[in-house]
Amino acid sequence: MLKIRGLRKQYGKHIAVDGVDLDVRRGETVVIMGPSGCGKSTMIRCVNRLTEPDAGEILVDGKSILSLDDQSLREFRRTVGFVFQQFNLIARLNVLDNVMFHLVLAGVPREQAEARARKALAKVGLESSEHKHPANLSGGEQQRVGIARALASNPQLMLWDEPTASLDPILIGEVLDVMEELVRTTNTTSIIVTHEVGFALKVADRIILMDKGKVVEEGSPRAIFADPQSEVGKKYQRLIAS
Amino acid sequence: MFRFFRDGLYRDYIILILVTIIAGAAVSSGVAWAVDVYFGDTIQEMIGDNGEFDLILHIREASEEAAVRELERIAQQQYPGAVISKTISLAGQVNYLFGFPKEAKTAETFSRLPSIFNAVPGLNSYTVIVEPSVLVRGVHPSISDTLQQRFNQIGGVSFAFRDGKNMLIVLEGAEHSKRVMNEVKQILKDYQVLEIRFPMGFDVDVQSTGDAVIQLLRKEYPGAKLANVSSTEYGEELDALMKTLVEMRHFLLSYASKVTIKLAPGSTVVMGEQIVVQGLSQQVPASGEEAASDHVVIEILEVNGDQAQGMIVSGSAAADGGVLTQPGYEYLSENKIGKPVGEVRIENERYRLNYAIEESLRLLRELDGLSVEAALAVERADKVLTTFQEALMQLEVLQVQMQQLNKGLAEKGAQSTSEQLIISLFINGLLKSIAKSGSETAEEFDLDQLENLDIASMRSSLESIAEQIGSIQEIDVQAIIDQVSDIRDSLPDLDDEEIGKSVRLVDNYIAGQVIPGERIQILVEKGPVDTEAVEPLIRSRLQNQYLNVYSIAAGTVNPDTRTEVFRILKEVRATIAGILSIVLVGVFLILDHATIFSTLKWFRANQKQPRHGLAKLMNPVALFSAAVGAAVLAATYWLSRAAVPYVSMATVAVIGMGLGAAVGIFSEKFSPVRADEIMAGLALGLNNAQIMHEIVIPDGRPGLLQLMNRAKQKF
Repeated sequence: MLKIRGLRKQYGKHIAVDGVDLDVRRGETVVIMGPSGCGKSTMIRCVNRLTEPDAGEILVDGKSILSLDDQSLREFRRTVGFVFQQFNLIARLNVLDNVMFHLVLAGVPREQAEARARKALAKVGLESSEHKHPANLSGGEQQRVGIARALASNPQLMLWDEPTASLDPILIGEVLDVMEELVRTTNTTSIIVTHEVGFALKVADRIILMDKGKVVEEGSPRAIFADPQSEVGKKYQRLIAS
Repeated sequence: MFRFFRDGLYRDYIILILVTIIAGAAVSSGVAWAVDVYFGDTIQEMIGDNGEFDLILHIREASEEAAVRELERIAQQQYPGAVISKTISLAGQVNYLFGFPKEAKTAETFSRLPSIFNAVPGLNSYTVIVEPSVLVRGVHPSISDTLQQRFNQIGGVSFAFRDGKNMLIVLEGAEHSKRVMNEVKQILKDYQVLEIRFPMGFDVDVQSTGDAVIQLLRKEYPGAKLANVSSTEYGEELDALMKTLVEMRHFLLSYASKVTIKLAPGSTVVMGEQIVVQGLSQQVPASGEEAASDHVVIEILEVNGDQAQGMIVSGSAAADGGVLTQPGYEYLSENKIGKPVGEVRIENERYRLNYAIEESLRLLRELDGLSVEAALAVERADKVLTTFQEALMQLEVLQVQMQQLNKGLAEKGAQSTSEQLIISLFINGLLKSIAKSGSETAEEFDLDQLENLDIASMRSSLESIAEQIGSIQEIDVQAIIDQVSDIRDSLPDLDDEEIGKSVRLVDNYIAGQVIPGERIQILVEKGPVDTEAVEPLIRSRLQNQYLNVYSIAAGTVNPDTRTEVFRILKEVRATIAGILSIVLVGVFLILDHATIFSTLKWFRANQKQPRHGLAKLMNPVALFSAAVGAAVLAATYWLSRAAVPYVSMATVAVIGMGLGAAVGIFSEKFSPVRADEIMAGLALGLNNAQIMHEIVIPDGRPGLLQLMNRAKQKF
């Protein structure tokens, strides 16, 4: 479904993504791991062009994403769910509006949008909080709203950008549980950037290890952590062992 | 950058700019208009209706009661129908409006305002507000009379009068104002005051230097009429003093001894040189010796060929003698006597004047006696004439009798007696002898001639003489004698030396040693003189490279006080509108446009293409915001009819540019955007317009943008 070739992104003198190649099959759950600053988030932001890559090619179902015009790009983005590390909710809107507003703006009738939003909220266990504002929710709840917002548009591709990185350890579990449930119950293709090794072991069809902007190792979770070939993989192995 | 404005956002932004301009112009001009109306009403209350009052009298508060009583007295007794009204009081000073009755609004009244109100207790000053009028400010005193006459001749002008350095031209109606102003401007163009200004501390003789400049200008501008009016600049009083001094100098010179030098062959003297004569001294001057203290020193005033005129500057020549002729010698330095120069004749004018006065007094006294004698003589002549007339009548009777007798003798012929013949011969002889006294020759005698004498005419002449003598007798000769005696007694008791010193002092004063100045003013008529052209010439002529030449108008035209006040109010309104425009545009830029600018900057920061070279240094958002600021402020300023003094439209645009650029550069400080929300919007497939309407603007500062956005905002 997704094919990335020679993806490159540079910020000044710093090369964030350095010629990454990646293939993701439909329905596959790919977990990208690696040390901070290795280019994981940049890479998945390049997928829906929230970050414009400097070079390379991104194909979704054979269609080049980088050559899309503004309108086509927006249409593509509506088919991709994106979960941000910082939740990125609209502070002035309540939970329900946060989940449905983009549907309404995309032309979905308000009633339908509301129904889809409520359904998405139910999936993340927040159906009773639809009138609350983000400021009145915990970090975990806010992230679950963010997940519901991504789900509401019935995406064919879910991009998760370290969804638990901003949460304290107590709240991480509730989000991971929701994520795990979603990955198991939906057939959505997911690319998840995370540091959660245990979660990766549970949900990943494939794990990709990155270091210094490059893919240094990829494979099934068992293969990666049982017999790591890269330094990054060995570090994760030692982490699991400890 | 402009991709940001796609999806219809450019329309929204253009509308925002238009609304900003209209709102800014409406608010600024509205506030300015309100201020204008408020002050206009206040002024109406302060100085009354148009033409109602002519003066504002500024009176000390402590004297108000007495001053009002005096004003009321003036209004009742001198100007019945005059109106008085109290207006605002300021800082211990009360102000009263005074309006003359219509028939008293004349040049004569306004020319004597100080004398009309001089008895008002506590009157500090007054301001003339007569309407409708045209005010000419800063009229040069040297031409104020001329200008007043010319202004009076303009059609529609009721009269013109001076008010200090200003001249007020009172009009017959307000409709003449514009035309009269134009004509006054044309008249003022006929005059030009050329000012030659010297560097600070550089004192010049204003008279002689001014005259030198005039000589120079006459060559360059033969048709121009030029006058040195430097002294008038110091005030009319000083000008009068100068004239008095000149007259005094003439008097002193005519009162001083008249010195004439007949130069010896080969001798020469020059103006200002001194010579010495013996005068009344016992010591005869001799070449090579020192001059005695009582020798007379003479200064040469004028030389004409072999004759020179001079003035005694030391010693006295003749006490009573009237005329003194002595040889003159050169008077050298160190009090030495030089070679002879010629014959010096000194005529004591004071002696001559005194002599003439004494003789006049004597004549007057003689005239008094002479008239009495003449009256007596006429009386006697009249009596003689009467006697003569009576004698003549008797002679006529006698002649008739003689004719009758002769006739009788002739008729009797030889028969007449010898007695009758003797009587006849006797009477004829008697008549002849009488007639001889009134005839040159006996042969001319004829009694008819005596009869033909015009006695009546002679009597008439005598009566006329008697009348004239009577008129002379009626003259108060004694009074004339007393006055002439007074004049004689009041003549200055000055000797020649004192007169000479006085004349020198006056000369010094007039020559400018006592009246120095740093500028010279030349009045030019039928010019104009080109200051740039003449400046180097004057510099060269006066040998001063640091002087400057300026052209000053003979006066500047202004409308009357009310019009002036309202003109100032109009300026204030325009200034307020201008300042408000700037402030409001600044506020709108911060409240509304800063949101756009900061969003633009965010999008630009997330652009795909990295910037290189100059593009890296340039800030397109700052340039764009500067352009928006310039356009919005210029349009707002123009629409609100603003006009800040000394600020042109170009300057306004530059101010707007600066405001816009500043807001653009610091837009995140004024209106920060939530980058994470925009990022979410992008990720969710929202277009820029939706991001602005639903995310950025509702989160921004409240203002026009938010108001306008409400219609489009769905959440």
